[in-house]
Amino acid sequence: MENITTLTSEQITKDLMPQQFGRNGKIWVAILVLICLIGAYAYYLQLKDGLIVTNMRDYVSWGIYISNFVFFVAISLVGSLITAVFRLANVEWSTPLTRIAEIIAVSAITFASLIIIVDMGRPERLLNLFAYGRIQSPIMWDVIVITTYLFISILLLYIPLLPDLKIMGEQDTKGPKWLKKFYRFLGSFWKGNPAQEKISNKSITILCILIIPVAFCIHTVTSWLFATTYRPGWDSTNFGAYFISGAFLVGAGAVVTAMFVVRKMYSLEKYITEEHFDKMGKIVVLLALLYLYFNVNEYLVPAFKMKKAEEGHLDELFTGQFAPLFWFAILVGMVIPILVLVTKKGRKPLPMFITGIMVVVGAWFKRYLIVTPTLLHPFLPMTNVPENFKHYFPSWEEWAIALGSLSGALLIITFFVRIFPIIPIQETITQQNEKATS
Amino acid sequence: MKKLHHNILKLLVTLCCFATAGQTANAQSDSVPATKIIRMHYYNVNNSMQYILLESQLKKEKTFTPQANKTYNLYLDSAANLVAMLKTDKDGKAKAFIPPTLKAAWEGSSQHTFIVKEGDEELVSDYVITKSKIDIDTANEDGARVINVSVMKMDNNEWKPAAGVELKVGFERLGGILSAGDEETYTTDSTGTVKVTVTKDSLPGNEKGIITIAARADDNETFGNLLAEKNISWGLPTEINTHFFDQRALWTTRFRTPIWLLAMAYSIVIGVWGTLIYLIFQVIKIRKLGRT
Repeated sequence: MENITTLTSEQITKDLMPQQFGRNGKIWVAILVLICLIGAYAYYLQLKDGLIVTNMRDYVSWGIYISNFVFFVAISLVGSLITAVFRLANVEWSTPLTRIAEIIAVSAITFASLIIIVDMGRPERLLNLFAYGRIQSPIMWDVIVITTYLFISILLLYIPLLPDLKIMGEQDTKGPKWLKKFYRFLGSFWKGNPAQEKISNKSITILCILIIPVAFCIHTVTSWLFATTYRPGWDSTNFGAYFISGAFLVGAGAVVTAMFVVRKMYSLEKYITEEHFDKMGKIVVLLALLYLYFNVNEYLVPAFKMKKAEEGHLDELFTGQFAPLFWFAILVGMVIPILVLVTKKGRKPLPMFITGIMVVVGAWFKRYLIVTPTLLHPFLPMTNVPENFKHYFPSWEEWAIALGSLSGALLIITFFVRIFPIIPIQETITQQNEKATS
Repeated sequence: MKKLHHNILKLLVTLCCFATAGQTANAQSDSVPATKIIRMHYYNVNNSMQYILLESQLKKEKTFTPQANKTYNLYLDSAANLVAMLKTDKDGKAKAFIPPTLKAAWEGSSQHTFIVKEGDEELVSDYVITKSKIDIDTANEDGARVINVSVMKMDNNEWKPAAGVELKVGFERLGGILSAGDEETYTTDSTGTVKVTVTKDSLPGNEKGIITIAARADDNETFGNLLAEKNISWGLPTEINTHFFDQRALWTTRFRTPIWLLAMAYSIVIGVWGTLIYLIFQVIKIRKLGRT
């Protein structure tokens, strides 16, 4: 960010203030709202007729809802990586990215919670988890840890936002009155005096320390939902680390994608520079190599032994009906991004944006491959069951709900960007002042 | 060329012959008539519960197919005494108890004939049962446990010994009868009794050592199916291991969670949420500092 040291505080504030949606922004919001409404209608049908509207049956009882859940949980981990790990390690260049990472975390974990309720079929039975929950069950651990992570993420989003809320409340902009009132309600008490600064900094440091183990727990517990079940493909001691490495990768891919879009839409080239893309590119390469390493462990070792029960599952993945999807996820989600981003030219904004999307799309299909093929390969053969029990392809209602949830998460991010500064204003000014004086 | 035409003609004729032969065989198979089979089984359990089990099947060649949802009328001795209107289940079976309304007719004779009709068609009219009873008595003879089973039949309103009845005598085990002595079955003598010396003397019973003695006659031509049972404390008392369900384990109910898990889970939850509550108070503190 060397090139912003010459900017005045007023200029930075003006540049980073949230802006009203342009024509493209409105079209974007309209598309997302439309997809959400179709998803809501599909969910209404599911509530009315039950889970029979899905193509999940006795064997595949976890379909794309659970794939989506794992995807959301994975992507939410980026909040702990960019915000907490980088902040604790004094990585100053990450400042413009912290809020992007944190809002991705909050929106993803919100929809992870919602999609689980959708998968239950009978949402009112959620209360039974609290009334009759068994602490011995990994599902109960997941409920506790997701709630905790959501709460920490909201706090980690809110406390660093306080100085910016004061700035926005004071700005004489043309925005709607309710928005001004909203800013004042959230942060009018922030005066920026030393006592407040001290408490705020201390609270942020505590949150950063706290969120890292909780983030590790959230995805480890999600992996244990699978690994504690004795099934081909899930029976692995590698699963916790495998899930966390994959989560950091998809989260970083999502941040890269969001960085590019925000930079382009709000003309923030002075704040999110090519240097940021270059550094994030190197991080994505590191994370992709790490995830690839765990994938080799996860598939090569069982394939080397080729136990009878694992054979059908692995054959389906490597050469069978899931092979195109499997190799797509490996190549597009890991190998190609590594090959592109390992070069300096590959770490320019546009190639970074494309590889970011590849990582995210590859990661979604990877989650589908973790969940579904295993369920189609039980230890006991499937006999005397209807033919449609032996296959799974999601119904239109499942697709609509899954896409609706993804759109919902994007809508939260979009509205956040519209209402709040996506790059911390006060922190940017402070950093610039510190650099100017040093 | 002429030879080729000749060969094609021969081939067509052969194919026609095969096709005709196949159709004839199928037609013959279809023309075999199916036969209705009605089987009757009389049961007398512990001399107090009598019922009839009817089985309806369709026999075609060597295949028996259960006749589901068929309706039959079952009569006792004559069409005036309707026992029940029976409807067969998916296995082609239906059960009927002797109703209290037929008590006088039932007690009035030593022998009874059961008649089955489907509509006006009489399907069974020769299923005859002689009333009988079966009793179990136990004794200790020179330190050996003995089971005495007597079978009596009704003859001119008097109970008389039923000789030559083949019985299984033993202990009820897993839905079957484990023979109490060395023989698989026993036959009643002229006094209508069998005497079985128990050779299996260390069978596990319930927690009080109670086991069930059973004597059973299967599909006897004269008396039908007879069963008598008697509980006796000849078994070894079984200690029911409730400890298995009492222990704290990962698979038990939430009230028996292992202490180590409770300690771990609650310490983490209290630690993390305690810190979060502290942080909320810090936010409140920031708020107060801004207001003052």
